[in-house]
Amino acid sequence: MEGPADIVFRASGLTKVYRNGALEVHALRGIDFQARTGEFIVILGPSGSGKSTFLNIVGGLDRATSGEAWFEEHQLTALTERGLTQYRRDHVGFVFQFYNLVPSLTARENVQLVTEIARHPMPADEALALVGLSDRADHFPAQLSGGEQQRVAIARAIAKNPQVLLCDEPTGALDSATGIKVLEALTQVNRAVGATTLVITHNAAIRDIADRVIRFADGRIVEEIVNATRKAPSEVSW
Amino acid sequence: MIPPLRRKVLRDLRRLWAQVLAIALVLAAGVATLILGNGAYASLHETRARYYEENRFADIFADVTRAPRALLGEVRDIKGVLEAEARIVRLGLLDIEGMKEPGSVLFVSLPGDETGLNQLFLMEGRLPDPQSAREIVISDGFTTAHGLGPGDTLPVVMNGRQRQLLVTGVALSPEFIYALGPGQMMPDPRRFGVVWAPRAALEAAFDLEGAFSNLVLKLAPGTDPDLVIEALDRLTAPYGGTGAAPRKDQISHAFLDAELKQLSAMVKVLPPIFLLVAAMLVNMTLSRLITLEREQIGLLKAIGYSSRAVAQHYIEFVLLIATIGILIGMAAGTWLGAGLAQMYARFFSFPYLVFLRDPQIYGLAAVITVGAAVGGAIQAVRTVVRLPPAVAMAPPAPASYRQRIGWVRRLVQLRQTGVMVARHLFRWPLRTASSTLGVAMSVAILVASLWSFGSINFMIDVTFFRTERHDAQIVFGVPEPQRALFAVRQMPGVVVAEPFRQVAARISHRNLSKKLAITGHPAGAGLSRVLDTALRPMDLPDSGLILSEALADALQVRPGDLVTVEMLEGRRPILTLPVSGISLGYVGLGAAMDIGALNRLMDEGPLISGVNLMIDGSQDAAFYAAAKAAPKTETITVTALMLERFQQTLAENITVMITVYVVLAAIIAVGVVYNFSRIALSEQGRELASLRVLGFTNREVSGVLFGELATIVLLAQPLGWLIGYGIGLAMVAAFSSDLYRVPFVIEREVYAIASLVVLAAALVSALAIRGRINNLDMIEVLKTRE
Ligand SMILES: Nc1ncnc2c1ncn2[C@@H]1O[C@H](COP(=O)(O)OP(=O)(O)OP(=O)(O)O)[C@@H](O)[C@H]1O
Ligand SMILES: [Mg+2]
Repeated sequence: MEGPADIVFRASGLTKVYRNGALEVHALRGIDFQARTGEFIVILGPSGSGKSTFLNIVGGLDRATSGEAWFEEHQLTALTERGLTQYRRDHVGFVFQFYNLVPSLTARENVQLVTEIARHPMPADEALALVGLSDRADHFPAQLSGGEQQRVAIARAIAKNPQVLLCDEPTGALDSATGIKVLEALTQVNRAVGATTLVITHNAAIRDIADRVIRFADGRIVEEIVNATRKAPSEVSW
Repeated sequence: MIPPLRRKVLRDLRRLWAQVLAIALVLAAGVATLILGNGAYASLHETRARYYEENRFADIFADVTRAPRALLGEVRDIKGVLEAEARIVRLGLLDIEGMKEPGSVLFVSLPGDETGLNQLFLMEGRLPDPQSAREIVISDGFTTAHGLGPGDTLPVVMNGRQRQLLVTGVALSPEFIYALGPGQMMPDPRRFGVVWAPRAALEAAFDLEGAFSNLVLKLAPGTDPDLVIEALDRLTAPYGGTGAAPRKDQISHAFLDAELKQLSAMVKVLPPIFLLVAAMLVNMTLSRLITLEREQIGLLKAIGYSSRAVAQHYIEFVLLIATIGILIGMAAGTWLGAGLAQMYARFFSFPYLVFLRDPQIYGLAAVITVGAAVGGAIQAVRTVVRLPPAVAMAPPAPASYRQRIGWVRRLVQLRQTGVMVARHLFRWPLRTASSTLGVAMSVAILVASLWSFGSINFMIDVTFFRTERHDAQIVFGVPEPQRALFAVRQMPGVVVAEPFRQVAARISHRNLSKKLAITGHPAGAGLSRVLDTALRPMDLPDSGLILSEALADALQVRPGDLVTVEMLEGRRPILTLPVSGISLGYVGLGAAMDIGALNRLMDEGPLISGVNLMIDGSQDAAFYAAAKAAPKTETITVTALMLERFQQTLAENITVMITVYVVLAAIIAVGVVYNFSRIALSEQGRELASLRVLGFTNREVSGVLFGELATIVLLAQPLGWLIGYGIGLAMVAAFSSDLYRVPFVIEREVYAIASLVVLAAALVSALAIRGRINNLDMIEVLKTRE
């Protein structure tokens, strides 16, 4: 097995309970998980199985109810608000299920929002070029299609050259050609920067481009498949 | 390169320009009110101080009938007296051809030289030759009212003799800033003027050679005027002195003071309320506006912006809005304040106006405004920033709409959209309450700005139509025997004539004392009545005094108490009299007695000071001519002219001031209601768009939002009336002085107007957002979550 230095993420016994008055929803029921540097992991699972919740906790967007999660030497579950902010700012790139762009900023400015505060960013235009949106850089989100908005969000996530790239259904709204472009952008960042990439998807076909596939069900990891070889995105059949 | 967040600030400002403008205007209105009132007040106050100082305005004023000049030496020897001047001050009648109504002039001997007291401010021409018997300088307002100037002649009646005087100059004096004619309530420059003449000429005209009729004194700094007055009164008593007045009781000064006090009440009570209301509304509005940005705040945090950076971003946003508001407010406030001060300066016959701007007021306005705006922003950002980004980015947790509104539903058969309205209102009771309060405050400041009209109308009604019901009043130079009344009854046009007696007196109770005139009325008088506080005519007791409410308050007496009355005329008896009743009266301090009882106390026989008259309107010109010609007449006042002047002056001053306030209040009301509607739309935009997707018509969808707005606006009305009433009550206390007592009367129209303005604002806002509802983006809803 690999030495501990190789492990970027470690989680053990992670649970998350949402309380809504008397109602309790167990979104995560004890997750044990590890990810190596540069690994490309695809997360599958039915709706409501806790995938987004897990990703949010690992990304420092939300707090676990119990259990531990580590990023390198940082214990995420123990970090303060400020520590989590610093963690997200320095290490994590997000692509959200909903595009979450700032409506009053253009595509380029949405990317600059991140490059502005990142330590080693790539130029905003380069990031937009990676997702094939160079010619739409000056458009506002409302002037872009859903898929284009999502690609801006991806450009924004990769523009900081993150160590970790967390994507929640990045291709959900895209046609296959753009979907492939997006996945290529993701794999390229994954290779070039060695960013550990976690991608949630409902498209089981994508699993073939991953190093490892994890399947969630009812708040637990129920299956884990390691691919001996990764396919290129262009080889995936949608 | 402009950082993207800063760019977002600018874009958001532009995107929300209408709301931004509305908020900025609300702030501007608050700031402007504070600045304009304070600016006008400070300028007038400073102008008066400078004018008094430069023109050596006296500290003490005393009238005598006739005292030898030798007395002046003794007056100068009183401890604390820096300077004393003996003057001749006498009333005369105007005799201008073509001027039907009576008018009077006050003759004042010119101050000695440059070091004399009450120096004139020469506006035009030159001072009279000291040796001339004809040359005079006249007061500026009077000059303008009659189109006179240097070189013109002025026909007058002096000491019963007709004279043609020659105008050599036009002047102003600190003694007549508020140039009130005898028996008048408002300055009327057409019917009252001041004429300054060399003392020798006046001595000759009024048979006062080697004598004087008036003293003015300047005191050494730190001297107690009361001690000097005591000594002075002892000296002047043998010569018909009716008691010296300190500067604070000098007519012009006292009225000016009362006016400034009123202005200061308008300035000190209302504007802070305006500003606070504006601040509160902006605080609420901005906080809700930022709460709308919840998801974007979550996103900024998700991608690594610190809470501080996020907060700073929104603070920049509101600071810009606040700055726009403050700048507009300061510019408008300064401009309006200068205009207002000029208006008052003209009214008060100031020779110049010292503009004063208190930087502290500007600073205060800015600090309160910025504080409120930033406070609202921080409060809203803080609640959102505290959430984990994952939660913030998701829409707020679906509200637990329990069956709390079951009863509403049972009460009125609500349709499903109606249920939505009710649920919204009940789901966020705090927001509903704060919106209601916000609209209510708009109503309240309108009520608070408008109420005084009702009070003034009531004052006019009581004073001119219920108490002083005569058409004209003749006052004699000295008290006359009964036959003077018969002479007046013979004048043309006289329908009813009722005599009265007036005696200057000092009334004391414990250590409190007031100088005023006690009026004796004949029993059953109908032309000048004494009314009780329920507006019923009062019977005058055989002995005992009826005091006006204001006087009773000032002396802290109640019916049944005993007061000491020192008569300041005749043999100057000092008496102890019971207070037998309290009467209503809004102008000045008053004390009334039965005329017979008063004459018995004076022990001078049945004398009368003047006559109240009812005149046949068709013969008024003949009456005026006869009254003017009667040698005993000192002044003639005409009630209708006085009332007209009263209303004109009010129209000029208070109306302008109130109009400004009402406009500012209306701006606040419109700004608030518009913002609330816009924010409600933003908050519910998605829900409403979904309704459209489901096939609801624009009308039905608008109905949901408008139903909510209408409920809030309607709920706010009674609350606003109540708060406005409270503010008015606080103001009325600040309005009252010895000279005016302002009744607190709010006419129903005030509530109606306030509500109509706010309802109109709501309607306009509704129309303005109607277009937005019609253009709700259904696609957007389908494209993203929920
Ligand atoms: N704020 C919340 N309050 C209560 N329950 C929540 C909340 N957020 C998520 N849940 C619940 O937690 C569980 C996991 O949600 P999560 O968003 O992680 O699912 P998911 O696997 O990402 O589903 P999908 O594929 O539909 O995105 C679900 O049952 C969901 O209803
Ligand atoms: Mg999900």
